[in-house]
Amino acid sequence: MSCIIVESLSKSYGSVKAVDKIDLSIDSGQVFGFLGPNGAGKSTVIKLLTTAIQPSNGKISILGIDAIKNPLEIRKRIGVVLQQPSYEPTLSVEKSLEKYGMMWDVDKKNRKKRTKELLDAFDLNEIKNKKNEDLSIGQRRRVQVAREFMHDMDLLFLDEPTVGLDPAARRKLLDFLKNKVKTGLTIFFTTHVLTEAEYLCDNIAIINKGKIMAIDSPEQLQTSLGHQKTVKIHILHVHNELEQILSEIKNCKIEFNSGTNITINSSDSESVLLEVLKILNENHIPIEDLSAMPTSLEEIFLKILEDSDASNS
Amino acid sequence: MHRIVRLVNRNLTISINPGFLIWQVIFPLIYIFIAGFAYTALIDNVPFGNKNLDYPAFLATGMIGFNIMNSTLISGIIIWNDRRHGMFEQILSGPFTRSDYILSNIFTIGIVGLVSATLITVVGYPVFFKSVEFNFLTIPIIIFGSVVGSILFGSIASIISTRLKSSEGFNVIINTVFLFFAFVSTAFYPADGAPELLAIAFYLNPLTYLVDIIRAGIFGVFTELVFMEITVLVILASSFFVVATKLLTKLDF
Repeated sequence: MSCIIVESLSKSYGSVKAVDKIDLSIDSGQVFGFLGPNGAGKSTVIKLLTTAIQPSNGKISILGIDAIKNPLEIRKRIGVVLQQPSYEPTLSVEKSLEKYGMMWDVDKKNRKKRTKELLDAFDLNEIKNKKNEDLSIGQRRRVQVAREFMHDMDLLFLDEPTVGLDPAARRKLLDFLKNKVKTGLTIFFTTHVLTEAEYLCDNIAIINKGKIMAIDSPEQLQTSLGHQKTVKIHILHVHNELEQILSEIKNCKIEFNSGTNITINSSDSESVLLEVLKILNENHIPIEDLSAMPTSLEEIFLKILEDSDASNS
Repeated sequence: MHRIVRLVNRNLTISINPGFLIWQVIFPLIYIFIAGFAYTALIDNVPFGNKNLDYPAFLATGMIGFNIMNSTLISGIIIWNDRRHGMFEQILSGPFTRSDYILSNIFTIGIVGLVSATLITVVGYPVFFKSVEFNFLTIPIIIFGSVVGSILFGSIASIISTRLKSSEGFNVIINTVFLFFAFVSTAFYPADGAPELLAIAFYLNPLTYLVDIIRAGIFGVFTELVFMEITVLVILASSFFVVATKLLTKLDF
């Protein structure tokens, strides 16, 4: 069942089109990654989907409810972690969790129980009596994300939730989210860290200049767009003529780093690699290390943006 | 619990802290019990309607209005802090509407205003009890004055908080405006006997109306002027409330 359906959604500010006729259909019980460069329109789309702003055109249905007609009904059933910090400076961590639960009408007994669970799950026990204004950026971010789980919801919007978190806290949060999805929660997730999207998301959309450039699962995106493979070869000594010789190979992009590291990108990687190995062998150049890897999501992301920019210009 | 009640609960929790309580209680007490008695040597009696009040009684009743005005500053502070710390957008991303947010602020300042008025009335009572003239209008008119005054000054503080982004700007403007209200009014001294221009300035200031209404309730002096002041206060409170609501409704994230 689709929990988010968007048809021809547009949002303009004057003559600037922040979101340009996008369509989305997102099934329940998954993590949907929404990726894009700065200013691509990610936060605007989140604001539209969370009913914070009204669209210029198009339709939005969240959890089967019309977002334009019944925004409050939607907001009662979703959670939102905004990109920018939001906190009550004078409240302690524990109190701010408790008060947030009260604002969502969670009964006292459940508030206590959830506060305790979240303090544990987000490693906040040591700072539970500290005021929010005295926390570091990362601690404050953890509280902000934890706070949203004080109430029940069917759909959670997370706008770059891992900004400011250290790697351990980041991984812990991603695992926490994975477990929540297993209980039926749907998550709409934006991030700039593509390894996070790869780790967490079931499906991904890439947006650039207000338009959706690609939507699929990370694996499918890699299969359909990641024809190119990267081969890295490390040779023992610098050979001045090698760069010139290798540049004659077709259908590939070869880079030399410090003269001994060769990186080859090609969609026909197997035959290119054979040719490179042949040249190295003929020139008696010993290889110290060789590795081949599929194109990462980051490379696919960059390629999509590059193609999109090229077609726009 | 209704959405607005939950927001009022939250507003009170984040606003009431030891600093605020000291400001609300100690500051007026100093005025009433130190300035009030110290100035008695200079100011013997103050005419109010058909009565002559001693200065401490005059000042203590003035401090009720003054305290209502001061307490409503929290309305501006709540809005300004919510915008600064991202809570305005966070709250409106949750199960609340802008109307809920605005009404919760009004109820918050109404409650704080009433509690402040009660507190100063209780504390100041020994000073003005000799001149008190209770009648059926006393309590309703004090409550009316407290609520309408709270809405008026709360709306002014809200308007300022929606227009300013820097903390320095907010503090300078709000302190200047409220300092003007406090000292160019009849809270501390009567308009009679003041230089003519200053007396006119007193009556361009809504705190004067609030203070006069509260004094009228406590001392049982209901003149035509007081009823006119009630009308003006209601008109001003309604107008500023409409402007504050419009500005808050249009406030972008």
